[in-house]
Amino acid sequence: ARSDEGVGRRPRRRKRGCAGGARTGAGGALEQPVKRGAPAAPPYREAKTMEAPPVTMMPVTGGTINMMEYLLQGSVLDQSLESLLHRLRGLCDNMEPETFLDHEMVFLLKGQQASPFVLRARRSMDKTGTPWHLRYLGQPEMGDKNRHALVRNCVDIATSENLTDFLVEMGFRMDHEFVTKGHVFRKGIMKIVVYKIFRILVPGNTDSIEPLSLSYLVELSIVAPAGQDVVSDDMRNFAEQLKPLVHLEKIDPKRLM
Amino acid sequence: GSASSRPARSRCRRWGWTAARPTCSRSPCPRTWRAWRSASTSARAPAPRRTSRRLGRRPATGPRPGTPRTRRNPQTLQLISKKKSLAGAAQILLKGAERLSKSVAENQENKRQRDFNSELLRLRQHWKLRKVGDKILGDLSYRSAGSLFPHHGTFEVIKNTDIDLDKKIPEDYCPLDVQIPSDLEGSAYIKVSIQKQAPDIGDLGTVNLFKRPLPKSKPGAPHWQTKLEAAQNVLLCKEIFAQLSREAVQIKSQIPHIVVKNQIISQPFPGLQLSISLCHSSNDKKSQKAASEKQSPEDHLYVLEHNLHQLIREFHKQTLSSTMMPHPASAPFGHKRMRMAGPQAFDKNDISSLQPNEGLLEKIIKQAKHIFLRRRTARTIDSLASRIEDPQIQAHWSNINDVYESSVKVLITSQGYEQICKSIQLQLNIGVEQIRVVHRDGRVITLSHQEQELQDFLLSQMSQHQVHAVQQLAKVMGWHVLSFSNHVGLGPVESIGNASAITVASPGGDYAISVRNGPESGSKVMVQFPRCQCKDLPKSDVLQDSKWNHLRGPFREVQWNKMEGRNFVYKLELLMAALTPC
Repeated sequence: ARSDEGVGRRPRRRKRGCAGGARTGAGGALEQPVKRGAPAAPPYREAKTMEAPPVTMMPVTGGTINMMEYLLQGSVLDQSLESLLHRLRGLCDNMEPETFLDHEMVFLLKGQQASPFVLRARRSMDKTGTPWHLRYLGQPEMGDKNRHALVRNCVDIATSENLTDFLVEMGFRMDHEFVTKGHVFRKGIMKIVVYKIFRILVPGNTDSIEPLSLSYLVELSIVAPAGQDVVSDDMRNFAEQLKPLVHLEKIDPKRLM
Repeated sequence: GSASSRPARSRCRRWGWTAARPTCSRSPCPRTWRAWRSASTSARAPAPRRTSRRLGRRPATGPRPGTPRTRRNPQTLQLISKKKSLAGAAQILLKGAERLSKSVAENQENKRQRDFNSELLRLRQHWKLRKVGDKILGDLSYRSAGSLFPHHGTFEVIKNTDIDLDKKIPEDYCPLDVQIPSDLEGSAYIKVSIQKQAPDIGDLGTVNLFKRPLPKSKPGAPHWQTKLEAAQNVLLCKEIFAQLSREAVQIKSQIPHIVVKNQIISQPFPGLQLSISLCHSSNDKKSQKAASEKQSPEDHLYVLEHNLHQLIREFHKQTLSSTMMPHPASAPFGHKRMRMAGPQAFDKNDISSLQPNEGLLEKIIKQAKHIFLRRRTARTIDSLASRIEDPQIQAHWSNINDVYESSVKVLITSQGYEQICKSIQLQLNIGVEQIRVVHRDGRVITLSHQEQELQDFLLSQMSQHQVHAVQQLAKVMGWHVLSFSNHVGLGPVESIGNASAITVASPGGDYAISVRNGPESGSKVMVQFPRCQCKDLPKSDVLQDSKWNHLRGPFREVQWNKMEGRNFVYKLELLMAALTPC
């Protein structure tokens, strides 16, 4: 697969100690992002035995700008969907409503460390000719309680259609897949997605699907360069306006598990 | 109140008597008393009314003297009881009337309260409102329409409570008031003008502002609507100017644009200056006094201001088009084709072809250039038409134009001979920097923006027309064309174009006319006579036969300015007619 960002390079070996030490830094200080010319990484040695490739624990960036995703999530039951859509239609930018039908596959690269490296590959099923979307989402940034949204490192890449073959060749294995169907709205730089997740009954066959729950997931997200925390205030103000219909809040995925 | 306290006239009216008759002051009125007496004997309904009225006026001293006491005693009791009950009924009615009038007054008071909510409803039909805490805020920016300007554009809705209920409510009272951000107050517009280049660079920054009178709002529009619309217009003008100045600084052009304070100056053509300025006049009294002294300039191009507004709105719509929406939904916003750039390995040329080439400033400069070129072309043609009477020049401008292209058809004709002499027809396509001329005979000539080029070209065409006209006239008159040349290589050299010449011979062959016409040198007409008519020819023995005397001999010039006829072709026709013996 050809990609326009530099994520196609191999993950670098990192000294375990230094990675761990940097992560426990208090106050949410960011670790040094991986740069191309980073001197500390020793070159990857061809191993005689087939050991699992190393997985980096450092935040991954695509190119020079470190993009962060600010996220707020909530859910509504099926019967309240219409009223939520009406409200969003009124609050968001004036456009024709966009629906989407996507198929997402989550790939894992299991390394020596306990937590595997996760990449998400998503394709559009209803619009032909659109590129596949490869996404890396880092760990949510801890610390600042005043920040109203979940912040995590985010890398978005548009790829061609042979993405799954490429990932399999790289050593990734598909963990799970699902289909999402819903509506997407925008307000300035904010994206509001209301969708239902469908489980795929027969692996590989996207026609045999069944809904996972009787509710719709609502996500409010902004992808912005790192350091622009003021966007989380805009998100909170917008979430206030949806208050009685849906409560959007920051949900830490680790606490759910 | 008692019956006696009420005004007399109303009392009459109430009891159903003729209202016109004023009640007499005597108590009781003898007329009415008589009627009462007659009525009381029949014991009818009117009797008690009259009785109580009568009794009400009288002080309660007892029965009237002189009437038989025995007959009236039970009736008196009856009357007194009826009076009491009627008084009771009147009390109830009065209480009800009081309550009604109180509720009407309250209603009026409530109406003023309720009006706030109905006004708020009306406001909500036009503007986006939201409630934040206990404040009602609104949005007058273009952000929901696709603008990326960072101004918040928030206005606040406040209740207008400074109203004195005792005084009369003013006509234009509105229970609702809007508070707009302080930097959006007043009115603004973008002034676009083309001027001759300012000789002194120090003049920059002093824009000739004038306070344009606010566009008349619709007569039924509430004052908050005009206020909000004006503020929105100010915001849009600020956005347009910010975009223009950003482009003026970033985009490299051959002659750099100057951005000074609230003005952008660029040079579309040498010697010409295009200035775009943001004129924002606030509402305070100081600026109003200053602005009223300035006159309104005539060089403001309203078309370009309108086009600027349209262009920025188009730009807004682009950000909202569905091609920007992400598919799959987790992808970032961006144009669909730009996302394909990565997977399909576009090179730099492909990517640059995807992005919009021209910014707002470049587009508006191109439009200004075109407008200027078109105006100057029209002026050139008109000045030539008014200066030169023969031949005539006509311009037919096309109604349907583009912002970057207009066309005009120029015809050069002679008056009275339009049907015959129509060989010079030029189609001028006026572009942004050039004028393309398509001749009737198929030649395509490209002229630059110089005014002199067009003028010289038209003059040379006019001179060619004269000679072409002679050719057509000869056909009509039966004369034969002996020679014709558009560009003669003989005679004095013309500074503009070339001279053309034609020689025609009469039907009988006796005479020949030779015409040479040049743009500068004018026309020269010579006639060739047969030898027998020339007296000053030397006699020789070479010619034996007399038939040789009928050949044409020497040329003689015609004094063209003394020739009769109102234009060249007419004169020539007369000449031809004179030389053709009938």
